[in-house]
Amino acid sequence: MPTWKEKLSITMEPQLVEEIDAFESQIALRRSGKLDEKIFAETRLRRGVYGQRYDNGHRNDGVRTQELNFSSDLTKGPDTLWDAPGMQRIKIPFGGVTPDQMDTLADLAEEYSDSVLHVTTRQDFQLHYVHIDDTPNLMRRLAAVGITTREACGNSVRNVTACPLAGVCHGEVFDVTPYARATAKFLLGHPDAQGFGRKFKIAFSGCRERACGLVNMHDMGGIAVTRTENGMEKRGFELYVGGGLGAVPHDAKLFEPFLPEEELLPTAQAVARVFARLGEKKNRAAARIKFLVAKLGIEEFRRLVLEERKTMVPDPRWTGYLPEVAEFKENPLKEPVPLNGQRPEGFEKWYSTNVYRQKQAGYAVATITLPLGDLTSSQMRQLADLARSFTGDNVRTTVEQNIVLRWVSEADLPELYRELVRMGLGEPGAGTIVDVTACPGTDTCKLGIASSRGLAAEIRTRLAAKLFTLDEAVKNLHIKISGCFNSCGQHHISDLGFYGTSRTIGNRKVPHFQVVLGGKWEDNAGAYGLAIGTVPSKSIPEVIERITGRYVRDRNGNETFQEFIKRIGKQELRGMLENLMQVPAYEKDRSFYSDWGDPREFTIGDLGMGECAGEVVSAAQFDLADAERLVFEGQLHLDSGDYAQADALAYRAMIQAALSLVKTQFQSVRNDSDTVVSEFRARFYDTNILGDRYAGNKFAQYLFRRHDSPPHEHTLDRARRIVEEAQLFIEAVYACHDSLTERGSAPISIKAVGKP
Amino acid sequence: MEVQRFGVKFFVADPPSVRLHDFIQIFHGWIQKQTVENHLLIDVHNYSHIHNGPGILLVAHEGNFSMDMADGLPGLLYCRKTPTTGTPVDHLETILKSALQACNLLEGEVRFRMDDFLLLANDRLNAPNDDECFSQLKPIVSDALERVFGHTKYTLTRHSENPKERLVVRVAGN
Ligand code: SF4
Repeated sequence: MPTWKEKLSITMEPQLVEEIDAFESQIALRRSGKLDEKIFAETRLRRGVYGQRYDNGHRNDGVRTQELNFSSDLTKGPDTLWDAPGMQRIKIPFGGVTPDQMDTLADLAEEYSDSVLHVTTRQDFQLHYVHIDDTPNLMRRLAAVGITTREACGNSVRNVTACPLAGVCHGEVFDVTPYARATAKFLLGHPDAQGFGRKFKIAFSGCRERACGLVNMHDMGGIAVTRTENGMEKRGFELYVGGGLGAVPHDAKLFEPFLPEEELLPTAQAVARVFARLGEKKNRAAARIKFLVAKLGIEEFRRLVLEERKTMVPDPRWTGYLPEVAEFKENPLKEPVPLNGQRPEGFEKWYSTNVYRQKQAGYAVATITLPLGDLTSSQMRQLADLARSFTGDNVRTTVEQNIVLRWVSEADLPELYRELVRMGLGEPGAGTIVDVTACPGTDTCKLGIASSRGLAAEIRTRLAAKLFTLDEAVKNLHIKISGCFNSCGQHHISDLGFYGTSRTIGNRKVPHFQVVLGGKWEDNAGAYGLAIGTVPSKSIPEVIERITGRYVRDRNGNETFQEFIKRIGKQELRGMLENLMQVPAYEKDRSFYSDWGDPREFTIGDLGMGECAGEVVSAAQFDLADAERLVFEGQLHLDSGDYAQADALAYRAMIQAALSLVKTQFQSVRNDSDTVVSEFRARFYDTNILGDRYAGNKFAQYLFRRHDSPPHEHTLDRARRIVEEAQLFIEAVYACHDSLTERGSAPISIKAVGKP
Repeated sequence: MEVQRFGVKFFVADPPSVRLHDFIQIFHGWIQKQTVENHLLIDVHNYSHIHNGPGILLVAHEGNFSMDMADGLPGLLYCRKTPTTGTPVDHLETILKSALQACNLLEGEVRFRMDDFLLLANDRLNAPNDDECFSQLKPIVSDALERVFGHTKYTLTRHSENPKERLVVRVAGN
């Protein structure tokens, strides 16, 4: 039977082939019980393979909590059953996708998921209900079209986002696309970005005024700026660090008003090093960089980063991409022709909300409004074909969970609109109050408390019917909804934001949403909203009616919504909602006791733990798991008669294991084998640390012998011996690591992830 | 031809009679009673907001059931996810029977056409949408249909010749 691995091996980059094969081996190791579940959990998360609601094997069906009796009790992480369907996140740097990639994404959704592609609030795609055993092939098919899922989840540098209008926006200082791409590429798998206690999100924006990049709410973000030096315009970034939403939002702090472009990557690397070294590891609730920046103060944080920067050995990649930046240019497919001719019915409305005229005359960006960020495989494939006909490769996802086609010749807009309507994607209202953003919430997220998507769908339906009769001031407000306080739906930066919570009435639970008003999407997420009070889920549509109605009636001239909210004040706003906060008795109106789109009586009993919350996986354990994976692969090659490869992998496994210990003392050690062996010898062998309790020094000889005298010929005996020796050496390193941990001297640990 | 992931869609006989949201409650009810044999029913997902999408989805470990709205034609779609045992004919037979079981459970809610339905090979590696695979698949389909429906005569046609789409066979009763 053919396999995707064989079929695609020549189309994938060798690095990706190796990474995905490694992941497949880790799956096999976990299946055979040879890899600890915590380590496997972090391993899969770093490949974007995430858990989903009910994967602990319990689900309330509305009457009782059922045990979901999967045939196997194997786990893929603490309290996470192997067979339970999960989510695959697919990173799309700056949201840029090509038609070929879109075709592949469509195929994968059909074959491994539920034929639906979901665009996230960070320009990723997500597939739900995926079986973990399908993920290696899914990744291979993505790799064949140049997409990696590496570091889409876990404590790593997540998707690097950027304005979807970058390069075509009237207000931008310059196109941030090539910088976003270079940053994503540089930090992907970078050794200095592996030891974080939590995730790290980066965004780029082309200007200060508009919202698209949302720099203010990111761990690190750059806003394009220029200055004149010696009569020449020089590009750089206003660099921010330490922003973030979550339960407690933090404004990013200005790190540097003008960071020259050539300093972008080294500074990002230095920030990563400081975060990895000093960021919180044990308490995940305080492990984002925003807490470190707040604790140290921005001045001290800056000083540490600049000190670190001075110690770094120059890397040619820091500036190697800059010549490409100068040449970076997108190629439109068609000539620029102004809008002309017949316009189909509905076109004007769609044009008024979904079309942005580019700074390049004759071209426009068309936004495809995706309800709740969803589209089917069939729509995706058709969209890819439309891109091929109208725009070429110029497609991007947006943080508002839509897709944009850029470089549409304006004269093609009516035809494009006709096609979109035919596909069911011609809805107007992009960026308006109906274009509600919502996180997955209780639909699929383990931490979801209330149904953010159910509420979003309800609001959307109610508002869509009257969008074009709404007062202009209300029409352009934003609504954003999160299923819990973790704020993946970005409710803090919305005019009208909501996050899910629960209240007990009598002895029953009632889904509620906290109302957060007056957040600012503009100015790069310029302000966070004001929490007003908690309202039952079923009354939220009325909250929107009431607040927007009052705004229309009572606003002073051109007063913005934020100004209006500030003027009215929390107390009065709360007073306006007081009666909506009441919950009728169960006997009177049961509808309050179920969530939107879910007839089950509401419960929070299904709430799971964020993946591995409370679990600490040390960096060394993580590296050791990789060493074990290598020796396992060596064993497979031994069994298949490829002795040379068995030897090479066993040797690599020993180097990796030695490196894992060395890094506990010397984090930025070079990873070439000579350096690793010499550092290992000096730090653990000569000092007898390895040999301390378990006669490990004897096992260290295996490494030294193989390093000093590689085999001249490869025989079964030799290969078998080295594989066995590698296994023993790894055991000794494990023992040493455990002993150091017990004594409190094992170092750098990685906190596994919590919220997505 | 070694395909495991087959799917089948039985069209609703009277499309206007479908009230999509009703299936949310129906499928939750199935989960409460774990009504579908040989399936671990897990969750319901509401996709009614997507134009011609999967409608209302019932997720099971072994495969997904949905009141599917693709092409604007409502129908019960079953897509297998986990492997079944035996020959390709056995796989297809198992999948047809699972889908028919779901159709029977929906009796009283909607009626399905048994004289016109779709069989899909949800596996682009082993069953690309081309003439050759269609020829290989036809006898497998015929044998499976005979096992499930007896000696009824059917015409098998390729639903679409677009090579990007899955290989889908339209089964029409004569
Ligand atoms: S953790 Fe994030 S995705 Fe999950 S419900 Fe909370 S806000 Fe939504």
